Amino acid sequence: MFQRILIANRGEIALRVIRTAREMGIDTVAVYSDFDRRALHTRMAHRAMPLGGSLPRESYLDMAKVIRAAKESGAEAIHPGYGFLSENADFAQKVTEAGLVWIGPPPSAIRAMGDKITSRRNMKKAGVPVVPGLVDPVDDVAAAIAEAKHIGYPIAIKAAAGGGGKGIRIVRNEKEMPGAFRTASGEALASFGDGRLYLERYLEEPRHIEVQLMFDKHGNGVHFGERECSIQRRHQKLIEESPSVIVTPELRAKMGAIAVQAGRAVGYENAGTVEFLYSKGEFFFLEMNTRLQVEHPVTEMVYGVDLVREQLRVAAGEPLGFEQKDIVPKGWAIEVRINAEDPFNNFVPSTGTIRNLRAPGGPGVRMDSALYRGMEVGLNYDPMLAKLIVWGSDREIAIARMIRALQELNVGGVRTGAPAALLVLEDERFRKGDFDTHFLTTLDLSNPRGGEDALVAAVAAIHRHLLSKRRALATTASSRTNWLERNRSRLSSYPAHQAEPHIQTGPAPKGARP
Amino acid sequence: MKYFIQVNGRQHEVDVMERLGELKVAVDGKPLDLSYEEVDTLGQVALLSDGKSYGVSIEGDMSKASVVIAGHLYAVEIEDERERAAHAAERAASKGGGLVKAIMPGIVVKLMVAEGEIVEAGQSLLILEAMKMQNEISATAAGKIKTIHVREREAVAGGARLVTIVPVE
Repeated sequence: MFQRILIANRGEIALRVIRTAREMGIDTVAVYSDFDRRALHTRMAHRAMPLGGSLPRESYLDMAKVIRAAKESGAEAIHPGYGFLSENADFAQKVTEAGLVWIGPPPSAIRAMGDKITSRRNMKKAGVPVVPGLVDPVDDVAAAIAEAKHIGYPIAIKAAAGGGGKGIRIVRNEKEMPGAFRTASGEALASFGDGRLYLERYLEEPRHIEVQLMFDKHGNGVHFGERECSIQRRHQKLIEESPSVIVTPELRAKMGAIAVQAGRAVGYENAGTVEFLYSKGEFFFLEMNTRLQVEHPVTEMVYGVDLVREQLRVAAGEPLGFEQKDIVPKGWAIEVRINAEDPFNNFVPSTGTIRNLRAPGGPGVRMDSALYRGMEVGLNYDPMLAKLIVWGSDREIAIARMIRALQELNVGGVRTGAPAALLVLEDERFRKGDFDTHFLTTLDLSNPRGGEDALVAAVAAIHRHLLSKRRALATTASSRTNWLERNRSRLSSYPAHQAEPHIQTGPAPKGARP
Repeated sequence: MKYFIQVNGRQHEVDVMERLGELKVAVDGKPLDLSYEEVDTLGQVALLSDGKSYGVSIEGDMSKASVVIAGHLYAVEIEDERERAAHAAERAASKGGGLVKAIMPGIVVKLMVAEGEIVEAGQSLLILEAMKMQNEISATAAGKIKTIHVREREAVAGGARLVTIVPVE
């Protein structure tokens, strides 16, 4: 087993890997941008190496800097987390060439699955069912319109090099194509440096079902059942669960076997996920994520496995040591992603400083986050602040437990999607398992919550209002400068935005926030 | 003193009387027994009303507050009688204005119109990028582009002015 590993990521996933590594007695090395000098992953690792810069491309996306940090710190292996460089085959290659172990699949497997066009070709060849659509990407609007006639609307246009829902647009008719194509291509170019798009048929009433895989370096491969991630908005997952209400043991065995077959076809190693779209009894290969997924904890809860531990074990060359028949699900797990966004204003991103923080606890509750009081939530990084995960002996108990945990949770300083998650969990259709990936668009998010609690909220706000007024007036009378509009509004807002002295030794890192 | 409060879009009238440092509150004419205790300076409040307990968190400013009770969000807007009259007059005066504001903080990636151009309602004005998501910002009303308040590559705050549209005579 490794003595020391470097985690080439930030936020909750960096912390997630650090936690397991610590439990295994492995020394951990964090890397951090200037912006993350005070971040939790920087503090919780045994060692931390600065990457400099505040933008992702100056820090976590800079391959040379990350590899240099690994060499300098004496790490033997690199865990990429998800996002950033995790699905970058060139990076995986460079890590290996630098004499380090890559905790993930071989570069050839990332390449075979990374580009969606290549992966679909490979999967067709391997006998895995794929969604009807184009095999080749298109590079202009005219070509897209011509090809769309053959496939038939509605059509999904997707980034050839994409992931995480970025660069995806749904086009319902020819008139929508030019605008959608332009923004999707622009987004793909900004996110991945590749503006090529491909078209495919948009399936009706689709459900997103994905299968967790784990392969060792000795040809052994297993699946850990499915996760359902149909509760999503703009193709970003909000609520995930394991197992899925529509998957029978027979279907699980069938989907699992096909997913393992898909992984084998590309010589897969380590953890990976095959995503399927399930539509009216059929399922189609969507893509394979050649890394650990955000929503991996629901699988861990149901199968009693630590997937990061398995990742580290197989990367170090150990055999799996168990077989498919040993892997048995128990109970039900649900995850809610807590994003900095305003669900009642079209989920627009929310920024601010985390002031008020109350984490849920109690039986069956797990919170994976890198949140801390004083954390700045900006626009440079992913808006996901935390993942709240619960386990229950059945789905009904898990839902009740998640509602209870969300009632306990409070993240102040930014708006979060948590109230929307509560509305989903309280919805009769969700509780009955009757939903698809469009569910969130059918949910009334006009925030009509009224009742007794609303009156209590009003009265609490009035109390706070009067206290603030008193304080603002008192201070204003004592100092002329406080008549300034800016100062007055600062004093009257609550919680008070007090300027805290920022103590720093040595020169300020370039681009650091005050 | 009388306050007009909107909670998630619903109007309530709250009467507040201060007697010997204690607040007497009535909501929509009904008196409410209440005990209000601030837990910390971060916006957590322990509230008791009629034997019921509420763990409340509040943030905001004098006129607007976000209140969270048991995971649900209550957007509260507060006006006293004087402010209510002033706001009503303001709304009446600014009828028909077409100021397009940023719905979120982000970076202006591309301007798709120029000053002086005639636009239709719903026409794309510019692309705003936030967290690598590109969003087309479109005209809220038909008219002529009077002023473009931003430039390409400019970072804007949520609520910032983007484009002013005036009606065409």
